[in-house]
Amino acid sequence: MATTQPPAATRQTNPGAPGQRLPPPITEVGVIGWMRVNLFSSWFNSILTIISLAVTVLALFYGLRWVIAGADWTVIGVLGGQMVIGQYNTEGSCPGQNCFWRPQVALLLVTALFGLAWGMAGNAVARRLSIGVVVVLTLFAFLPYSFDRMGMDVRLLLVANIPALLLGWAVAHYIGMSVRGIVIYVVVAFILSVILLRGLPGIPGLHPVLVLHWGGLTLNLLLAVVGIGLSLPIGVALALGRRSNLPVVKLLCVVFIEVFRGVPLITLLFMSQVLVPLAFPEDFNTNSLLRAGIIITLFSSAYMAENIRGGLQALSPGQAEAARALGLPGWQTTMLVSLPQAIRNVIPAIVGQFISLYKDTTLVYIIGMLDVLEISRAFIQGNTQYISSAKEVFIFLALVFWVFTYTMSYVSGKVEEHLGVGQR
Amino acid sequence: MAQLRSILTYQGVEVWRHTKVLQWTLQIVSGIVVVVLVAWFFANIANAVQDREIPHGWGFLDREYQTPIGHTFIPYESSDPFAYALGAAAVNTIVVSIVGVILATMLGIFIGVARLSTNWMVSKLATVYIEFFRNVPLLVQLFFWFYIILSLPPIREGYVVGGGLFINNSGLSLPFPNPTGFGPLLVWALLAAGALAAGNVAFRMLTAREVHAGQRSYPITGGLVTAVVIGAVAWIVVSLVAGESPLVITSPEREEGLFGHIAGGFTAPAGLVILLVGLVTYTASFIAEIVRAGILSVRRGQTEASRALGLTPLETLRYVTFPQALRVIIPPLISQFLNLTKNSSLAGAIGYSDLTNVAKTMTQTAPAVSIFLLIMAAYLAMSLTYSLIGNLYNRHIRFTGN
Repeated sequence: MATTQPPAATRQTNPGAPGQRLPPPITEVGVIGWMRVNLFSSWFNSILTIISLAVTVLALFYGLRWVIAGADWTVIGVLGGQMVIGQYNTEGSCPGQNCFWRPQVALLLVTALFGLAWGMAGNAVARRLSIGVVVVLTLFAFLPYSFDRMGMDVRLLLVANIPALLLGWAVAHYIGMSVRGIVIYVVVAFILSVILLRGLPGIPGLHPVLVLHWGGLTLNLLLAVVGIGLSLPIGVALALGRRSNLPVVKLLCVVFIEVFRGVPLITLLFMSQVLVPLAFPEDFNTNSLLRAGIIITLFSSAYMAENIRGGLQALSPGQAEAARALGLPGWQTTMLVSLPQAIRNVIPAIVGQFISLYKDTTLVYIIGMLDVLEISRAFIQGNTQYISSAKEVFIFLALVFWVFTYTMSYVSGKVEEHLGVGQR
Repeated sequence: MAQLRSILTYQGVEVWRHTKVLQWTLQIVSGIVVVVLVAWFFANIANAVQDREIPHGWGFLDREYQTPIGHTFIPYESSDPFAYALGAAAVNTIVVSIVGVILATMLGIFIGVARLSTNWMVSKLATVYIEFFRNVPLLVQLFFWFYIILSLPPIREGYVVGGGLFINNSGLSLPFPNPTGFGPLLVWALLAAGALAAGNVAFRMLTAREVHAGQRSYPITGGLVTAVVIGAVAWIVVSLVAGESPLVITSPEREEGLFGHIAGGFTAPAGLVILLVGLVTYTASFIAEIVRAGILSVRRGQTEASRALGLTPLETLRYVTFPQALRVIIPPLISQFLNLTKNSSLAGAIGYSDLTNVAKTMTQTAPAVSIFLLIMAAYLAMSLTYSLIGNLYNRHIRFTGN
């Protein structure tokens, strides 16, 4: 028996003995280990790493050198006010007074909405988002810019976003807010904002501003908000219509969806500009903003309908059958069982559609509206001394759009996580 | 009252409670409402057209267009009729769409695979590319490329790469085989098709031998060699018989002049270059995400099994992962092709004459309604063609069960 036991002396000198763990080799853990696994796992990967590192370093070096030393950013300061609001606050559209406070008050309503959402949801995402928005807005108050007809009041109203956010948060946190309350607030705030922007004849401070003069980023955001708010319900209706077993309803929905999906948005917008004035009586007041809003909404709802239809198709039929077996009538089965699950499953596609709707608002240039992109382009074309700064303008605009769209996809990712998509 | 109720009863149920009756009433009413609305809309247009003496009808199609078009792939002159001008513009859109789709697919697959790379640097670079290009409006990107091209030197001081590729602020010129006429072009196309068919037959035969006899037969190399050899031999024979080659490959050359001019080869005007670069880089970012999702949808066991069988990572991707991922990739990929085609209508913003841009100019001298109907039909036809090809291919690659 004793011979099978290893000698005590050997056991003690054996480095692999139990109870005497050695640290793993230095090449397998820590920074070096991570680099070996993720960057230099084979000769091919090493070459790839070196090439992409070289590309990154060169791009960063020349990019940063251009941003700091080569680029001339003065054009952004000159153009900044027009980028935000377009021709809204010029002598032609708002004679004899400063109208810039009106979009700014509308902005305060939006900030308060962020506060409400933060107070109601109370989670980290809502907090980060609303604080981020207000910090950026407040920073603008301290930038050394000077716009036409804009003085201290512009900066003060920007700083006023802080109390607006806190007020919204406090109302939701201490008084309480329901989803229905938020919806009512959104509708009321939207109507108030439109009245503020449009102005009321006869009231001294609210000189009417023609829709023709609305522009800049405000126009893009306004169109995007209207489109997002309306295209989802219309899309749901179209998707349900396309899946219904009523032949006439189905046919109408299919024709609508396929026609709007088959033709470029720019063609539809241009058609609306030529055909709508023909189709309505000559004295009928057709304004281009309304027309653009309707066309963009309809175009987007056709895509939305297909996304939601995809979600409905992916549902197992057992869900609807179970709901029917429990005695729910058809419309309750759809509204309470099928649709919520279908929409949850296609959140990425829906948000993707929202993002592309927001990007598509730049296409309104075709009907002569001066959105943020068109007004910048027109400015460069009209002021040839800035033509060498065109790159700076479009890189800046790309960043502005990127911040908005990236925020949307970030929030959608968080919502998905919260709803547990792909985990059930 | 009781009599009324008995009249208004269908299958023993009062009509206002009978589901089928209600549904049909709803359908008929909604159908009538829509038809009336559409009819009212177009009747108003028709009235307005007559009252305001706006030109209408289809007679304009035979009239001379008398307006130059910036760039066309088929020969066009101002004296050509409207119908031909519209056709030339449609060819521009179709060429942009096909070339763009091919390039965007190649770039998109490359970036999608790069994003899944185990190499941290490569995957992060691909992510940055996707997140940037996907989230910025195409129009902003097009304007950016527009001013980049504008800041290039003029033709006389432009860049020349390798003696054949000319890059300057009026476009990009490269060597190109130009047909000497329509007949020779047809001959060339037939020859190319024949050579490709022969290569395909060789590929199939060699593959069959490799599969059935287990002998290494190099089907891809064999097929390519067959196609190239047959094509070259046929080319030489045709050249000797006809006394001239079916195609003349010309290189672009700078000609002296006030502003400089490039003759020979193929010159893509600045607008076309901007449009293609913009469309390809933008669409590739969407295709990359589709490719990534498709590859991720293949179960992990497939990759592991193929690696266990001794296939290299590249072979695993080529023979195991990608063929299975294709089934998930094809439908959304087709919809990206459609998006690219429709997005090419932004050409007008950067001064390239695509279908929408030419149509927009035409509405100044021709009836707008007719032109809109024509271009809507053209875009719908293009969409349907892509969908058809996609569906056929999808049917070809789906699981057959054996």
